[in-house]
Amino acid sequence: MSKFKNKGKEPTKMRDRRIAECVELRKAHRVESILKKRNISLGDEEPLSPEYNTDNAQVITATIQEIVANVNSDCPEKQRQGCQAARKLLSRERNPPLKEIVEAGLLTRFVEFLGRHDDPTLQFEAAWSLTNVASGTSWHTQQVVEHGAVPAFIALLASPMLNISEQAVWALGNIAGDGPSYRDSLIDCGVIPALLARLTPDAPVGYLRNLTWTLSNLCRNKNPFPRFSAVQQMLPSIIQLLHHSDKSILSDACWAISYLTDGPNERIDVVIKTGILPRLVELLGFEELAVVTPALRSIGNIVSGSDLQTQAAIDAGVLSALPQLMRHPKSSVQKEAAWAVSNIAAGPCQQIQQLITCGLLAPLVDLLRNGDFKTQREAVWAVTNYTSGGTVDQVVHLVKCGALEAILNLLQVKDTKTVLVILDAINNIFLAAEKLGEVDKLCLLVEEVGGLDRIEFLQNHENNAVYRAAQALIEKYFSEDGEDQCLTTEATDANFVFGASEVQKRFDF
Amino acid sequence: MELNDANLQTLTEYLQKTLSPDPAVRRPAEKFLESVEGNQNYPILLLTVLEKSQDEVIRVCSAVTFKNYIKRNWRIVEDEPNKISDPDRTAIKANIVNLMLTSPEQIQKQLSDAISIIGREDFPQKWPDLLTEMVNRFQSGDFHIINGVLRTAHSLFKRYRHEFKSNELWSEIKLVLDTFAQPLTELFKATIDLCQTHATDVNALKVLFSSLTLISKLFYSLNFQDLPEFFEDNMETWMTNFHNLLTLDNKLLQTDDEEEAGLLELLKSQICDNAALYAQKYDEEFQPYLPRFVTAIWNLLVTTGQEVKYDLLVSNAIQFLASVCERPHYKHLFEDQNILTSICEKVIVPNMEFRSADEEAFEDNSEEYIIRDLEGSDIDTRRRAACDLVRGLCKFFEGPVTGIFSGYVNSMLTEYAKNPGVNWKHKDAAIYLVTSLASKAQTQKHGITQANELVNLSEFFVNHILVDLKSPNVNEFPVLKADAIKYVMTFRSQLPKEQLLEAVPLLVAHLQAESIVQHTYAAHALERLFTMRGANNTTLITPTEMAPFTEQLLNNLFKALAIPGSSENEYIMKAIMRSFSLLQEAIVPYIPTLIGQLTHKLLLVSKNPSKPHFNHYLFESLCLSIRITCKANPDTVGSFEEALFPVFTEILQNDVQEFVPYVFQVMSLLLEIHSSSIPSSYMALFPHLLQPVLWERTGNIPPLVRLLQAYLEKGAAAIASTAADKIPGLLGVFQKLIASKANDHQGFYLLNSIVEHMPPESITQYRKQIFILLFQRLQSSKTTKFVKSFLVFINLYGVKYGAIALQEIFDDIQPKQVALLLSKCVCQMFGMVVEKIVIPEVQKVSGQVEKKICAVGITKILTECPAMMDTEYTKLWTPLLQALIGLFELPEDDSIPDDEHFIDIEDTPGYQTAFSQLAFAGKKEHDPIGDAVSNPKILLAQSLHKLSTACPGRVPSMLSTSLPAEALQFLQGYLQAATVQLV
Repeated sequence: MSKFKNKGKEPTKMRDRRIAECVELRKAHRVESILKKRNISLGDEEPLSPEYNTDNAQVITATIQEIVANVNSDCPEKQRQGCQAARKLLSRERNPPLKEIVEAGLLTRFVEFLGRHDDPTLQFEAAWSLTNVASGTSWHTQQVVEHGAVPAFIALLASPMLNISEQAVWALGNIAGDGPSYRDSLIDCGVIPALLARLTPDAPVGYLRNLTWTLSNLCRNKNPFPRFSAVQQMLPSIIQLLHHSDKSILSDACWAISYLTDGPNERIDVVIKTGILPRLVELLGFEELAVVTPALRSIGNIVSGSDLQTQAAIDAGVLSALPQLMRHPKSSVQKEAAWAVSNIAAGPCQQIQQLITCGLLAPLVDLLRNGDFKTQREAVWAVTNYTSGGTVDQVVHLVKCGALEAILNLLQVKDTKTVLVILDAINNIFLAAEKLGEVDKLCLLVEEVGGLDRIEFLQNHENNAVYRAAQALIEKYFSEDGEDQCLTTEATDANFVFGASEVQKRFDF
Repeated sequence: MELNDANLQTLTEYLQKTLSPDPAVRRPAEKFLESVEGNQNYPILLLTVLEKSQDEVIRVCSAVTFKNYIKRNWRIVEDEPNKISDPDRTAIKANIVNLMLTSPEQIQKQLSDAISIIGREDFPQKWPDLLTEMVNRFQSGDFHIINGVLRTAHSLFKRYRHEFKSNELWSEIKLVLDTFAQPLTELFKATIDLCQTHATDVNALKVLFSSLTLISKLFYSLNFQDLPEFFEDNMETWMTNFHNLLTLDNKLLQTDDEEEAGLLELLKSQICDNAALYAQKYDEEFQPYLPRFVTAIWNLLVTTGQEVKYDLLVSNAIQFLASVCERPHYKHLFEDQNILTSICEKVIVPNMEFRSADEEAFEDNSEEYIIRDLEGSDIDTRRRAACDLVRGLCKFFEGPVTGIFSGYVNSMLTEYAKNPGVNWKHKDAAIYLVTSLASKAQTQKHGITQANELVNLSEFFVNHILVDLKSPNVNEFPVLKADAIKYVMTFRSQLPKEQLLEAVPLLVAHLQAESIVQHTYAAHALERLFTMRGANNTTLITPTEMAPFTEQLLNNLFKALAIPGSSENEYIMKAIMRSFSLLQEAIVPYIPTLIGQLTHKLLLVSKNPSKPHFNHYLFESLCLSIRITCKANPDTVGSFEEALFPVFTEILQNDVQEFVPYVFQVMSLLLEIHSSSIPSSYMALFPHLLQPVLWERTGNIPPLVRLLQAYLEKGAAAIASTAADKIPGLLGVFQKLIASKANDHQGFYLLNSIVEHMPPESITQYRKQIFILLFQRLQSSKTTKFVKSFLVFINLYGVKYGAIALQEIFDDIQPKQVALLLSKCVCQMFGMVVEKIVIPEVQKVSGQVEKKICAVGITKILTECPAMMDTEYTKLWTPLLQALIGLFELPEDDSIPDDEHFIDIEDTPGYQTAFSQLAFAGKKEHDPIGDAVSNPKILLAQSLHKLSTACPGRVPSMLSTSLPAEALQFLQGYLQAATVQLV
């Protein structure tokens, strides 16, 4: 047989199936993640600076040249006007002129204005403008940073004016969200203690939302991860925020946890040690998709860790939360839930047993049958992991729940990897049947549900690995006959010549 | 090689010669070209000839040569020299696209292939401008060029359809999307516009439609791995146009050809595939479009004709509907009774009709018809697709669908009844419809295993099937007869036994039908019925029940073999085998006649064996005849030998490779029946069986080993007395076999038989040599399989010759040496084998008999070998006992070291005739110890008891000092069971 046969014995478990940072062809879907950067747009909301109202129309029509002239003037009134005009341009929903503002050389002045404690309005407008520039592409963020905005913003966090401090939180969030390198330089500049200092019981919810989001961006991104000491600094506050009643805060705090757990096992350990698992499991039961999604992602990450870490999640009750998520109306939730199940199924047979006890097999088979393609793909992984690590009895139980028929139906799926993974599962099931001496029965079952036709058809597959795996199954289990029961020797025409050519003097086995 | 006229001239001449039909001219030319292809400029010269030659044939020849050259040489293999110089590579890549696009179609295809081979290696990193160069040609407006680009792109991108996701692959796809998706979309739109502009110009339309087909194929490849952002954003454009194209009919593009699919069909087929891809993978995004596609595809089906050229389109389209209708959230699209009725009426029923093409196949190409109809190689047929749709619809609408179809079945049967001669096809469709409606699960072995409860199969059998089976004229309406027979076969597990019994004699009668399909189905149906199991796992149909028809059955089966076209019909031969197996002693009276017919058949087919299954069943039937007859009367074995040996001799003399392994098996069976001595006819053959040439073929080895074992079992004494000179040759076979990792176990089978049966004195002189060979093999390549066989052998040897003999022969080969001259101490052999092989490996021995041999052998070593008690071997005594208890009590150790998994395959040389084991020549398991020891645990207890009485006190003290408690507990159990005590 081919290499396929040994699959079941491979010691490397499939539990390392994290959501890899991979080249993506798809559109980034908003529900599945939060934005890395946020622009402050002029929507229906009142501008955050209530004390400064001028005629909108007039300002919006202000040209860049006018802005430059105003900002560069020495008159505080004009500076404020210029700054506000710029902020309004930058807050346009469609194509704010980020590049133009940068190229007009305004950033130096804006950063300078951040230090104008004598003129909070100016500080505020400048902060807002810079926030919006930083929300652009990496290049835009880079411009803001290179103009020295980071220390200025960190200093502003302590501003007695809440709206200014909040603006700084926001701007720093955008900078942190750009990627690991700015994130780490912010951390080096001491952003974390400055942020945490503002996390007080009396802080308004709106402010806390921004703060949470910025914290989550400080946890975000790999290669490299944020360093341990920083994580340790932030975690207690994030845990605290996870008990808040505001959904949006909960959502961003969960995202933070999901970033922290999306890494090697020692990263996951840090989170588990906080004792947050029961709360995360509780959050799985929330109505709001914005909370459930990151909570489920965090749980998914944790069960992709070591057997012990997975067990911790199981002990926290995750298995009783999963069935309802597997039946969630949103297919993206079903998919994440199936992914988590696939990782639990990659564990030792005791954990597989808990999947059975907690009633996860029925919803799993439902997903195999009726889930959307991405969900089915995860569910197939669950079956393959289960069948490669489960005991013979457990495998039999899974087959009885209808999983075999369901995966055989999926052999026509238009995804090569999934097909191969299914063939792997089928092979595992056959290995179990061999141990029970029930191969013939299984062959009939596979044939009855149309699986044999599909496997035979795969012998013509373009992908070598797939057709070899299909061929190996057919040859080993379905070929009717040709079942083999099954040093040089000198020879003349009539006989082999018997006798050892030269007697070895010493044997040593 | 310089790029000059002289070289071009030479190259042209050699190319010309490679086209010569005369191998004496062609071969040297090919050789020459191969010998110079390593030179720089060679590919450039080829391309120059391709471009400049005036001779069209030479241009094509040079294109082909170029492509093959690229295929052989372009890939750079690590650690091997680069076979094409870098300047040549650069020059090729710089020119080939242009050259391809400006060449006539025949050359264009070759160059396009070459580009995709190069692209597979170099694209995108080492050929960054390829795509831009191609995309720029879209602007040319010349569709000959555009189609060239599209075709090349298709061969470059189609691997996205089957390769695994990887960062590398996805980066490439992303790059392709970035440069290619937008221009392709523009081209798609422009091409569709042009189709309207040129709506009346058939030649223009043909070119444009082939572009559209290629574009649709590219769409499929680019969308396969995941839904790209670009295509999600542009779904409206693509899907709207695809939808329009599906509904489009252009009279100008309709072809007259009935067989070959036209451009419209190809395009629509591909669009169905594209829609199916989106429906399956990108359901969420595609949902808004899906209902439109369902309607369009359904309309397409309703309006598409019965011609063969539409088959692929129709089956793709039906498969699309089938895959959609069983998804819960699209259920509503089909729910309406009117829609269901239309689908049944207009899509399913028409595609189940027996077409003239089917009729032709039924009559003229019965073999293919049978394979398709019976063995399910009908994946792409309309009937199959229609069945799948029925099954899909039944998932949610079993009741309504059954209701609708019952109406159709009835009306079709009524139509048939009005005028059977004209309307027989209506009945065929009705039966097919019932079958597809009723079957929910099916296997070859049991037929339908799960049926739709809403269909009354038994009633249908009585009212509509039986009539055709009973029809006095077996040759009338052969298709309906075949349908009726197939119905019985298909629903055999669902029909009551009385109905099956009623059918049996009718089926026997149909064996005489002229129609090949019909009598083949009859034979197959009987064969299947005979394998059915009833209560107590006996056959459902008993020999007694068959008694009234036995003679007719056997007669008709053999007569059917005489019908033209069925002389080597495997279904009939299998039915013969199965009938023998079912009827058992009831066939004895007929055997004298039948054996003559079988031998005659064997003689005929041995001239040119072409049907492996037929031949296999023929030999199985021979084996059955022998077994059944000789079971009743062993003396008849002689008459079989008389009948068969002439044919066998001919087969062996002519070396009919396919049959030789079978002949050995039948001979083994015959020889094993002989009760005492071996007949001289066999002895005459003995020397020939040792010929090395026979052993070179892997398929011969198992049956030959078995035959030699039969010789040893029946004729060891005769060999020792009359053929002692052949013993070295026999041992030579053993030596040859154990040298191979794949065949070593066969070598041990032989060796075990030699030890068991040969008079000891006849092999005394060879014993030491045998062991040396085994030790050499252990030393050079020790595998688990070898060790297992080795353990069984040494223990058998110990059982046969005694433990002392075993120890002595080992230590004689390698005694302990006081290491004065040697740099390290040489271990004494016996101790080394016990310590390094027996104790650690015996747990791996598998098989009841094998374990028993080891248990008895080890017991002897423990209790009958003084060296184990008195020398430095004493330290091995308790561990060996512990290993023996482990062998009794612990599960078998079936672990195999990682590097050994593939030995069996790797060592099988080449594609030689595989060995086909005859089931009815089967050998019963042989236990060389037999009843002498019925319970090895008791034997151990008794032997230990005996040992302990011989040297009181020693055994208990050895046990108490070093045997683990658990093992000791088991041992005490044995002692109790044997009611003995240790002293």
